[in-house]
Amino acid sequence: MMAEREIAVTVEVGRPRVRFSRLTVAGAVIVTAWVAVAMLAPLLAPYDPDATDLRAFLQAPGSPGHLLGTDHLGRDVLSRIVYGTRIDLSMGVIGVMAPFLIGVALGVVSGYSGGLVDTVLMRLVDVALAFPFLVLVLAIVAILGPGLTNYYVALAIVAWVPYCRLVRAETLVLKRSEFVESARLLGLSHVAIMRRHILPNAITPAAVFVVTDIVLTILLGSGLSFFGLGAQPPTAEWGRMIAEGQNFLSQGWWISVFPGIALILLTLGFSLLGDGLAKQLRVRA
Amino acid sequence: MSDPVLSVERLAVWFDTPWGEVPAVRDVSLALQPAEALGIVGESGSGKTVTCRSILGLLPANARVAGRITVEDADVVQLSRRELEGLRGRRIGMIFQNPSSYLDPVMRVGEQIAEGMRHHFDVPRRDARASSIDLLRHVRIADPEGRVDDYPHQLSGGMKQRVMIAGALACRPRILIADEPTTALDVTVQARILELLRALRREERLSLILVSHDLGVIASICERVIVMKDGRVVEEGRTEEVLRRPSHPYTRDLIGANPSLVPAAEPSRPASRSGQLISIEGLSVTFGRRRGRLARALLGEGRPPVQAVRDVTLSVAEGEALGIVGESGSGKTTLGRAITGLAAPSGGRIVLRNDLLTGRRPAIQMVFQDPYASLDPRYAVGRALAEPLRWHRLCPPDQVEARVLELMTAVELPSILRGRRPHELSGGQCQRVAIARALATEPRALVADEITSSLDVTIQKQILNLLRSLRERLDLTIILISHDLGVVRSLCDRVAVMHEGRVVELGGTADIMRAPEDAYTRELIAAVPRIPQLEP
Repeated sequence: MMAEREIAVTVEVGRPRVRFSRLTVAGAVIVTAWVAVAMLAPLLAPYDPDATDLRAFLQAPGSPGHLLGTDHLGRDVLSRIVYGTRIDLSMGVIGVMAPFLIGVALGVVSGYSGGLVDTVLMRLVDVALAFPFLVLVLAIVAILGPGLTNYYVALAIVAWVPYCRLVRAETLVLKRSEFVESARLLGLSHVAIMRRHILPNAITPAAVFVVTDIVLTILLGSGLSFFGLGAQPPTAEWGRMIAEGQNFLSQGWWISVFPGIALILLTLGFSLLGDGLAKQLRVRA
Repeated sequence: MSDPVLSVERLAVWFDTPWGEVPAVRDVSLALQPAEALGIVGESGSGKTVTCRSILGLLPANARVAGRITVEDADVVQLSRRELEGLRGRRIGMIFQNPSSYLDPVMRVGEQIAEGMRHHFDVPRRDARASSIDLLRHVRIADPEGRVDDYPHQLSGGMKQRVMIAGALACRPRILIADEPTTALDVTVQARILELLRALRREERLSLILVSHDLGVIASICERVIVMKDGRVVEEGRTEEVLRRPSHPYTRDLIGANPSLVPAAEPSRPASRSGQLISIEGLSVTFGRRRGRLARALLGEGRPPVQAVRDVTLSVAEGEALGIVGESGSGKTTLGRAITGLAAPSGGRIVLRNDLLTGRRPAIQMVFQDPYASLDPRYAVGRALAEPLRWHRLCPPDQVEARVLELMTAVELPSILRGRRPHELSGGQCQRVAIARALATEPRALVADEITSSLDVTIQKQILNLLRSLRERLDLTIILISHDLGVVRSLCDRVAVMHEGRVVELGGTADIMRAPEDAYTRELIAAVPRIPQLEP
């Protein structure tokens, strides 16, 4: 540590050039491309995703007007994938929001307060960890009823745990640091110390984990939709599309395969980006 | 003069970093004669450690080296990795600053000492153990048969450094490189380690390179000294000559900044002008608690509580500078923390003068040892200084900026540094920011806990001068906590010597330095390495 500082001090040429690895950049490009697809969906999709055309059902990929073919109701697979991006992408991003906010807040409070508050919160974490994550989400969605909103609620209930643990670990170290003690001596309130000095310094690992967590959230959400517990028909959602194509695999493999490829490409982008950021910022995730 | 056992010719080392190429050593030449002790002195970043590490080929992967380093006819710079391994330990032994981080915590000390022997000479385990015991005896560890199977955590810092030395000597190298071997140790322990090094040199005819920032340490062992600055050798010669007649201005600065040479503070101020500011009566601070009966029955005794401060009675007068001196573990930091309220007393009380308790803003502030850790890494200087002003509404919002600049001027920081974050500042600059921040609430008293011990001596002198002038200008009461008698002597009117949680001696600084009454104080004063030629 000391040596690095010394170097930084001797040179004094401002910030070092931040270099991201090629894979990180690839991840960022993939994610950006998907975001663009989601935003420009009406321009990119050749058809209305929900428009059925019973004269042109089960058209093979490459047939005139249907680059990726059509499904059993004659809906254009490309258009459905393009519009599905909106659902799947937002599912990942919205899904991690509540767990992130809840987890970070509880982590800071738990680590900083210590004592009874910490003990109670950490036992709560233990309980949440003792249940298999997937089963817990499935159970909650089953109780609340199918639909994406209930999926988000289920995530808010169980998925905050890793954020809480990451932030708490950082907070425990920061709490003992001299700059936090000096803030206490200057008379700042506990809330102010947590908000100004602990939170901004403790949040990095959690922020990096968000990117990785988006992958899990998308996969789980599309998995739920596949089982009919997530996005409801006729919404164009990739997991749903894969499920619908299941019965027609022998006549029309493309109905399931192309949304599957889309899912792989989207999650791959986030995975590469998440790993790259974690390495760059030297946090464990 | 016979042939040198080690010679370095025109060594240059630089590092490839994200900031570009950073030179660490530029054009260093030196030669070590048989049985000679050569000191290398310089501040952090002067290239002294990098020079030593390049002799053993121990540089990180992004280092690039030019020049020649000759050890027994071999050029180290050109050696392969395997040839380097034959050199390390066998021809040259090295010991480092922090023995705790260089010993493997899960390996018995005997095995660690023998590791090099077993690697280089394929010694059977039983013989290696016997040699380890001999080596432990050699470095004067009491009961070597019992200690050989200990783990590092069972040893004190001084003993760990002795184990490191034993390990470095295991393969009977002719050259020993010691990089700040005593910097992490208490002064009394340091004195004993230095004595050991002196004795080993005599007995083994070792050639020694001793790296230190402390001229006193160098002067007590080395015949010859090299002064380094910014990667260059600025002065070289016989230690006595260099100390008596330094030719380079930097060497003169270095000698002048040595705290043991700075004249003692004049006891100018009448101690009680307006009475006691802080009185401490029978204060004790205990960490940990004995387990309850049920917990003891179920989980055993557990760790006994630690009494960090025991029954301390002390008072601080307004405007006074009180020094608290002691070694690590003596309770001096805990006492300071109790005064500021960061540590809760378990017995006794701390009485503050009435006017310190009224008003919301805290009247006692503290500055800590590590200047980087005491500032929020995300706060630029200006923002860090503005925070307490805004929080306590100490001035109207439109004047915060002006007050920040005023504070920066008070601690002699150029205003252009306002936008810098801690990692863009030097250690000394950070410490000035920490002081300015502590002064923002206009406290009556400042507790300074080892604030100079992570700084270079010349910077240390500047910070002490700053404290002195702040004290006069702001009529500030200062409680200076330090392990370094020299630092305390240069600033404080009175000094309290702490040992094992108690104040063993309390009195005027000059009196205690001249005629210490307590046995421990005498030992402490005797242990401080001095530059003999310059003693008055």
